[in-house]
Amino acid sequence: MSKSHISNNIRKLRFFNGEMTQQQLAEKAGVTRQTIIAMEQDKYSPSLELAFRIARIFNVPLEEVFSYETAEDGK
Amino acid sequence: MSFQQRNITVSLVTFILILGFYLFRISQLLQSDDFTSTNVFRLWGVIIVLSIVATIVLTILAHVGSAIFEVIKTGNENPKIEDIEDERDKLIDLKGTQVTYIASSLGVLTAMLTFVIGQPPLVMFSLLVFFGVLAQIIGDISRLMLYRRGF
Repeated sequence: MSKSHISNNIRKLRFFNGEMTQQQLAEKAGVTRQTIIAMEQDKYSPSLELAFRIARIFNVPLEEVFSYETAEDGK
Repeated sequence: MSFQQRNITVSLVTFILILGFYLFRISQLLQSDDFTSTNVFRLWGVIIVLSIVATIVLTILAHVGSAIFEVIKTGNENPKIEDIEDERDKLIDLKGTQVTYIASSLGVLTAMLTFVIGQPPLVMFSLLVFFGVLAQIIGDISRLMLYRRGF
């Protein structure tokens, strides 16, 4: 199995949603601000439930927030 | 540094101090020819009680210290301390516990091997405590690494 990588557009989506702060997003998603920071820096891949919660906060489909790539996709 | 990271750092420092104390006492017992079962088991008791009490006291102090730090930093008299534990914290804790168990198991195996190669049982019991505390330290270090490096 090739190495996978989940990237996200959380930072961009925050900006387009009235410059929402990390703290505001964290409170709405029910996580700590550190978790939002880790996700934005691609240091943490959230659970499916949290991913859906974040997508719902921004009112966009899941694919617009998160994208999944494998090493083979980059070739 | 988050509240959880601060707690882990406090735990790490506590267990390093306890390990230092334990090694110091063991070396004292060895030098004074007092390495007897009574003294070793008494030290076991001291280490266990010390671990529990120090962890509780230092966790409370860390919480109070965090609140004071936030008051000074923000100037807000009722600071909001982010002490909730979310899915990432739980996952890191689980991974850290896994590392602790692996280190602890290897430690127990090593301690038992000393018994197999003909060392007295007291050596095995002394090593059990040593590896128990060391496993906790290794677990805390792995938790801090997961917080910093990500996964």
